[in-house]
Amino acid sequence: MSTAFHLNNKIILITGSTSGIGRETAIKCAEMGATMILTGRNTERLNETLKALKGTGHKSIACDLLNEASLKDLVSSCSQLDGLVHCAGLVKPFPVGFLTKPKIDETLHSNFYSVVELTSALFKAKKINDKASLVFMSSISGQHPHKAGSMYAASKAAVEAFSKTVALEYYPKGIRSNCISPAMVKTPMFDAASEGMSQESMDAHIAKYPLGVGYPEDVANSVIFLLSPASRWITGINLLMDGGLLLEY
Amino acid sequence: MTLTLESFIAKLEEEIDTIPKGSLKPDTNYRDIKDWSSMHALIIIALADTDYNAVLTGNDLRSCNTVSELFNVIKSKIA
Repeated sequence: MSTAFHLNNKIILITGSTSGIGRETAIKCAEMGATMILTGRNTERLNETLKALKGTGHKSIACDLLNEASLKDLVSSCSQLDGLVHCAGLVKPFPVGFLTKPKIDETLHSNFYSVVELTSALFKAKKINDKASLVFMSSISGQHPHKAGSMYAASKAAVEAFSKTVALEYYPKGIRSNCISPAMVKTPMFDAASEGMSQESMDAHIAKYPLGVGYPEDVANSVIFLLSPASRWITGINLLMDGGLLLEY
Repeated sequence: MTLTLESFIAKLEEEIDTIPKGSLKPDTNYRDIKDWSSMHALIIIALADTDYNAVLTGNDLRSCNTVSELFNVIKSKIA
């Protein structure tokens, strides 16, 4: 039986692969037949993810995406890519009245600038193969912000606009670009974001999810779909994954 | 900025405008502040970060009840 639901013969670069959604996605992609190039800042944790991958030929390249030279090294040591998954990012809740340029920069550099810089540099270096698929991790916050999440929401909305532009500019090469916007997913980032919330308000929020909160593997499965030939006809979309949260809105 | 309990109380009264000036005492339970919400918790975390360079967590907030307890936690975390 032939199926388009696979990642055989695909080389895929993934950022933020040392924890949360990125780590789980790397593991699942390898299970689906991909050869993975993992990147992240922490070598030890990169090796940990690398060891968890099935199959052979995978590698890791340590990189601080905020560092220009480090990003350049990553691009030059990367092989030709059939897929690129951007999972690196941070969430730092801060109310509007307290925002300053350093605070704005902190979130935008991690969640937007480095995403654009890496993508652009890979295209410039002609490392993205024809028919490749790019997946950007956005968030439900991009369209539905939360209190103290202005910069996070802005960075994700910016990523969504960027992804659509990539889709427009590169469709002649059959290259596709899509976003995934999850709502609450149980990850270390989720734990960081829930700092400052009381247990009661957290429980009240979780109760709003008809299908419960999400897990990294839920998102990983969608990333696999968007990377695989099964999504050949899909580009420029933002796939909302919210366990039904927004059904009543 | 030097952190004294008095200056911290003054800061809280300035940032959270549902607190009548001069009404906040060291033994006030900060959750009893009028219309207390998660937004106020976020403001306290941001205030600690901005003015005292202290990183507070939700657990820190959960572990305190009074304004002076909050003050002591921030003081212990000043970088």
